Amino acid sequence: MLCVTTERLPLRRPRGGRWIGGVCRGLSAHLGMPVGVIRLVMVLLVPVGFTGPLLYVWFWVTVPAGDPVQAAMDQRPAALSRLAPRLRDPARKLPLTDIGVGLVLVIGASVLIAVRNGADITGTWVLPALIMLAGTALAWSQLDAIQRDRVRSHTGGRTPVSVLRLVGGMVLVGLGIFLLVGRNIPLDDLLQTAIAALAVLIGAALVLAPWWLRLVRELGDERAARARESERADIAAHLHDGVLQTLALIRSRSDSAEDVARLARAQERELREWLYDDRRTPGTSVATDLRAVVAEVEDTRAVAVDVVVVGDAVPDAGTEALLQATREALVNAVTHGRAPYSLYLEVVQDQVEVFVRDHGDGFELSTVPTDRFGVRESIIGRVVRRGGTATVQSRPGRGTEVHLCLPRVSEGER
Amino acid sequence: MTNIDVVLVDDHLMFRAGVRASLDDSVNVLGEADDVDAAITLVRSLQPPVVVLDVHLPGGMGGGGAEVITACADLLGTVRFLALSVSDAAEDVVAVIRAGARGYVTKAISGADLSDAIHRVAGGDAVFSPRLAGFVLDAFGAAAGDIATGDDELDRLSAREREVMRLIARGYSYREVASELFISIKTVETHVSAVLRKLQLSSRHELTRWAAARRLL
Repeated sequence: MLCVTTERLPLRRPRGGRWIGGVCRGLSAHLGMPVGVIRLVMVLLVPVGFTGPLLYVWFWVTVPAGDPVQAAMDQRPAALSRLAPRLRDPARKLPLTDIGVGLVLVIGASVLIAVRNGADITGTWVLPALIMLAGTALAWSQLDAIQRDRVRSHTGGRTPVSVLRLVGGMVLVGLGIFLLVGRNIPLDDLLQTAIAALAVLIGAALVLAPWWLRLVRELGDERAARARESERADIAAHLHDGVLQTLALIRSRSDSAEDVARLARAQERELREWLYDDRRTPGTSVATDLRAVVAEVEDTRAVAVDVVVVGDAVPDAGTEALLQATREALVNAVTHGRAPYSLYLEVVQDQVEVFVRDHGDGFELSTVPTDRFGVRESIIGRVVRRGGTATVQSRPGRGTEVHLCLPRVSEGER
Repeated sequence: MTNIDVVLVDDHLMFRAGVRASLDDSVNVLGEADDVDAAITLVRSLQPPVVVLDVHLPGGMGGGGAEVITACADLLGTVRFLALSVSDAAEDVVAVIRAGARGYVTKAISGADLSDAIHRVAGGDAVFSPRLAGFVLDAFGAAAGDIATGDDELDRLSAREREVMRLIARGYSYREVASELFISIKTVETHVSAVLRKLQLSSRHELTRWAAARRLL
């Protein structure tokens, strides 16, 4: 309910442009078809067993009123997702235990039916009671499972597995009751009684359905409102902690242009990360680690670096070395070159590439004395030791570009 | 360089004032608007050669800059849109480009570069920031194996287009890209325009997903 991004507009009954209950208009927005077609289909369905009006009333009762576009906006994830393809989550396992329990119960039920048709055993109430108990346990256990699922994956709502559990549990309980009550009643009478009971149940369900649906919907609305509330509190806390404090600092140090620029830059970066990036734990993404490296250089050297990242990977020893070399290259560019500084990281299947570029006067690598540790050892050496390549290209008037390339050792984590 | 009339659309007065002051003399600001509805009315009545607009705008149906462009879709032959935003989110960028914008630049751009971008857009070329080039490479796949063979293929980049995009992502200007690849600036512009067209028309999953996130499909 919180983080679902559907491609269609959600089904709602808009308040504007409705003829009766807004059902046709809502359906047309949901299905992306002209409203006239939907209305025509509804009318054409009248002679067909009165299905049109019945369908209409059903939607009227079950579909909440509201603006579909607005509802779609409400469903947008609060934290906008990042560009790079996400690293895949481990696949979920099959619910083997549930399947096992279900199988045992089905076998039990069939055995019971066989016993009923064949020889009778003493204490026939024991088995039906057991089946009832098991059915109840199965139906109730899914409540817990839904809760767990919601915490784990934020999907909310019902999964097919939980619906299956509920239906299976209900069938088992019904079977148990009939076998228990109808121990000494002939099969014909039992069947008639069963049909009558079923009819009563369906009647009651029909009467109670709208009320129950509304209850469910109100619960959902309330939950969504609470989630929005906590998101807003989160934003407010962040604004207070970060932005307002920075603004206060800027005001108190307004005489130092360098301080103001540094504070503003740091705050902008933090806010951007917070607004536009997935907040992922450190050590799980090369892109995040790279941004941390750039942030450190930007803060200590009071410069701005234009960072573009394509793709992402789980860091390993190789990318660690690559990032250290990148840091050195960036420091070098900032020290000897001129703004604007560009950094480009590209992760593809078999290699990671980094380009660090400045717009300074450039230099000739052969003229750098061998005892100067910077370029040779800390940039080129680091990458070459990991089996990669490093080239420095520098032309007068065109600035310097450092190109680092590292093959990726392990595949399969993308 | 001939003078060019533009309309500025942004909901922050301070920012509009800043842009107006930083633009050079070859650009005249004809009018300003601060929300979707005002922007649509203004663009329809003035029909300027270039509209510089923010991605996030209040008003209308909540579609922001993309909504303005969609509402003026019949003018796209004469009026060209350049998106200007602080947003780093792919769905924002892709949404305005797919709606019909001819370029995307970030608000950190200098006045001279912005004026240059406006001239470029007015001349019918596409304007790509390094970040937009990064989005393109992300969306079309940066791996070298996925290369278009024909010109009519919309879902993949050609080898040359990928090279151009990578250089732009690395911070090269069009002129620098041209001299790096030993081709003319005109050819670079042709490649960038071709990529823009693919970005607008391709049905690649990533692009449609980003656009769908902004409710444009």
